[in-house]
Order: sequence, then C-alpha cells, then structure tokens
Amino acid sequence: MGLPGALPVLNSKVIKCAVMLGLALNCKLSLSSKFDRKQYFYPDLPKGYQISQFDIPIATNGFIDVDLPLEFGGGHRRFGITRVHMEEDAGKLLHTGSGSYSQVDLNRAGVPLLEIVSEPDMRTGIEAAEYAAELQRVVRYLGVSNGNMQEGSLRCDVNVSIRPIGQLEFGTKVEIKNLNSFSAMSRAIDFEIARQAELYNQGQADEIVQETRLWEEGAQKTVTMRKKEGLADYRYFPEPDLPEVVLTEEYVNGIRDSLPELPEMKRRRYEEMGLTMQDVLFLANDVNVAEFFDATIAKVPDIKLAANWIMGDIAAYMKNEKLSINEIKLSPQELSELIASIKSGTISGKIGKEILLELMEKGGTVKGLIEEKDLVQIVDPVEIEKIIDKVIANNPKQLEQYRGGKTKLQGFFAGQVMKESKGKANPGLVNKILIEKLNAKS
Amino acid sequence: MGSRALLLLTPAFRSDRVLLSHFTKCGFHQTFRQKEKMVRLGAREFSVHSSLERPNVARLAETARISLTPQEAEEFAPKIQKVVDWFGQLQDVDLQSIEPAIRPDTEAGSFREDSPETFDNREAIIAAIPSYEEPYIKVPKVLNKD
Repeated sequence: MGLPGALPVLNSKVIKCAVMLGLALNCKLSLSSKFDRKQYFYPDLPKGYQISQFDIPIATNGFIDVDLPLEFGGGHRRFGITRVHMEEDAGKLLHTGSGSYSQVDLNRAGVPLLEIVSEPDMRTGIEAAEYAAELQRVVRYLGVSNGNMQEGSLRCDVNVSIRPIGQLEFGTKVEIKNLNSFSAMSRAIDFEIARQAELYNQGQADEIVQETRLWEEGAQKTVTMRKKEGLADYRYFPEPDLPEVVLTEEYVNGIRDSLPELPEMKRRRYEEMGLTMQDVLFLANDVNVAEFFDATIAKVPDIKLAANWIMGDIAAYMKNEKLSINEIKLSPQELSELIASIKSGTISGKIGKEILLELMEKGGTVKGLIEEKDLVQIVDPVEIEKIIDKVIANNPKQLEQYRGGKTKLQGFFAGQVMKESKGKANPGLVNKILIEKLNAKS
Repeated sequence: MGSRALLLLTPAFRSDRVLLSHFTKCGFHQTFRQKEKMVRLGAREFSVHSSLERPNVARLAETARISLTPQEAEEFAPKIQKVVDWFGQLQDVDLQSIEPAIRPDTEAGSFREDSPETFDNREAIIAAIPSYEEPYIKVPKVLNKD
C-alpha cells in the first residue's frame, strides 16, 4: 500500500519459480541479477513505482517448442524467448462506467509475478495462441501457476507489426490489450494484421502509429486506447531495498534435476511410442491426464487401448460431469485391470464399458464388480449352444423366416441370446455357433 | 518507504542519464537546502559538467508530478546543477581495473517464506484511507497511464 516505513521482502519461492521456468524455457540464467524501480504514477500503484527487473533479468535467450493444432494444419514451431523476469503486481483498478471516480483493490499489490517476453517470431494469430497455450501447459506442468486466464493468473498482451515482403526492418508495432482468452488473442492479431495491411494498401501506412489498442470482444475489432508519445520514461534505478539475487550452480542444478518431464518431451515420447498426433496432443495437454495414462500403461502396456479409453469414454464422462481426471473415482490401476480383463477374455468389451461407468462414478475394483455382478464372460461353447438352442426353440416363427431367406434375422437371434445370457455370452462365439445352428437344418 | 538518494555513475548502468534522488514534494525543499549548505562549506566550485547531462528541470518536475512555475524551474536549475557537479567528483575515480557491480552494497539478502501472514491491525489501515467505499479505495477517474 505504499505505507511510509514499509519495506519489501523478497519471497524465496519466486526465485525458485523463475529458475524453474527459465530452465524449462531453455534460457541462460543470470547467476547475479537485481531489481529496479520502474517509476510512474497510476492509482493502482501505491508506491509510485513498480519493483521489476530492467537491465539484468534472471533469465534470457531461451526458446519454446510448440506443436500447432491439427485443425490448423499441425506442424512444429520454435519461438524465441527474449527474457523472463521477476516483478511485483499492481493493484486492480475498476472503472465504474459512469461516475467521476474509480475503485482500487490493493489485495494483489506486491504479489510477485514472472513476466515472459517472446521474440517476435510468430507470424499468425494461431501461432501466437499456441505459444500462449504452450506456456500455460508449461507453467501448469511445473506447478508454477495454474495459468487460468479467467482468474488473472495468466495475462497476455501482444504487439503486432507488419512489413512489406523483403523488408528486413520491422514495421511500427501496435500493442493490444484486454485479451481474455487464447482465441481472442488469435482473432485480435489477425484483425490487426488485416487492419494494418489495409492501411498499407491504401497508401496510408503512416497512419499506423505506435499506440495501445483495446480488443473489443463484442465488436471483434481493435480500437485506439491512447497514443504513445514516444517511449515512456520510467527513470529506472536499482531497487535499494532488495538484495542482489545470487544463484549458485548447486541451486540451479538441484532445480534442473527435479524438473518434471515437460510437455514437449512428453509429446516426443508419445510419438515414439506409436501414438497418432491426435492422441499425442490430447494426452500431453493436461499433465494430470498424461500421468494417468503413464500409470495405466505401466501395468498393462496396451497403449492404444489405454489411449482410446481415456480419450473416449473417460473424457466424455469428465466433460459431462465437469470433473478433472483426478476427481473421477476410477484409478489408473483399475483402468489397467479393466483392460487386462477384456484382453484375457474374462469379460466382454461391452461389459467392460458398463463397468467403466460404475468405476468412474463410485470407484471400486474391477475384480470386485465382476464377482458382485457375475459378469464373467461365457466362453464355453457348450454353454452357449444351450442358450442358442433355447432361443431358437422359443422363436419358431423367426426361424422359419430366416430359413425362408430373411438372413438379417441373425441379428435378432444374437440379440435374444445376449439378453438371455445377460450380456455375458462371448459375441464372437455366439455368432459362430448361431450361424451353424440356423443354417443346419436347411 | 526507505528511499535513499542514489547516483549511479558506474559503466554497468545502461542509461547515461544521471538520476537525482527521489524527491517527494514535501521533502524537496528541505533536502535541497541541506545539500546546498554542504556545497558552500566546501567552498569549492565543481566544474565537472563533462559527461553529466544538464538537468532539464521542467521535464524532471513533470515526470515527478511536482508543479513548478517557469521561474522556480529557472531558479532551481543551477542549484541542482551544483549538486550534480558535487557528485560528479566520483568521475575522477579510476575504474579501469574494477569489475562493475550490478548494484551498490554487497549485503546478502533476507528472504521470506511463501506463506501468508495475517496483519493484525487492518482497521488502522482502513481508517487511514482518505476515501473508502467498502471494499474499495475510491480514487479519481484516471484512464491513461501517462
């Protein structure tokens, strides 16, 4: 709150997070870095300056690898990371629409943040949106942030410029604020590219000025917010109240060794396992889903089946019930048990699907449910034959129709057999024996 | 706020602009008067204008949000210049063989754990807010950060 006499104290965790993120983004770490005061006046900045890192940030010169979504053509991209630095948050300023005053909430003022600046390597809205999505994945994987844009845990501003093909020098850049989602970011960038291109085409390229524009979600366009008159003069000087940030090789190596497998590494590993790109992108997107998948295939290495269950029935259930994979009652161990039971023929695939639902809703074990509900598949041909004989005997009319040429009725008989056996008869065997029996007496 | 005057003349500092101390409006005249005394006691004129930029008092006042009449700005300019020159003595130091420090003082720092602490006397803080509209602080409407 800028109270006289109050001094800032550095939170040790932000240093750890900065190092984790710097390493994850393949940056060079500054073993010695400092804080600076960025001075300007604004109602949400009680001290009149923001503690930040100006010329010696904690991490510089990194990169991030990204896989573009398949629906936009797919492909790999590598985007440069200029820097990662630590700074403090300002308060939150709310404008009351009408009225001659605004309101300030200082609860988040002073909370440490990490700012990530990218190289101007993206060329379309999609590339930028995927870059941001990958950053979100990385910070979630690392546990550095929950990366929720709606909560303000992840905030993005973009700068857009265009230049004629062949020109090396970048054009005038325009900043866009008020982006609340990755898709808004993508649309705003594409709009801005088109707006600037149109001005060029009309011979009005000099109307593109360095300014900040707001993205209006309703109107789907950017509008002028304020024009920057040259660069702001923040009068940076080193923050005297905070110490130098010194990292030892040991400290950094310790963190490097404890980094989890990052999304890019997971995607490459899943690709090598033989999963399709579609599976890879889905499974590696959420670190919890990836862990669930890894745990499942550790026990029963049927990768394709595990992937299908997770991407299909389980994902659908999670979406309907609005649950995360950690919240459903099914455990990876039970999923692998389910897969094993189906593979061994203990239960049929159809029964497996039914059990899955109960396992997700109520938990329990596969073995337990099979026993409790008597779900073991009937694979004894003699048993099946008995049921088939019974069904045929009970349906003489359909039998005649079948023998008369209506071979489609095989489905009817099969259905009756399944009903009689409470779904336990092995479908393959049923059809084999059924065909024999139905065609026998003709 | 423990604000201290810092003049950075080390090569490591990127800006070639000399930064004056962070004068607050009330402290300005007082602090300035003290420095003036010190300069007079030394009875020397320091003419080390060399690489130090002349202070643009009008612009400094603008960025610091201190209102000065053009006359006051003119009055203060040479006085501020004298302070700058006095500090300018540091330029005579031979720094050829010295590694630039990234910031003054080499004290190792203290850190805090990342655990929240509740402050006991919120009422006192709230009582000190000039214009409070629970739970927000009321401020004049400002749209531009300039």
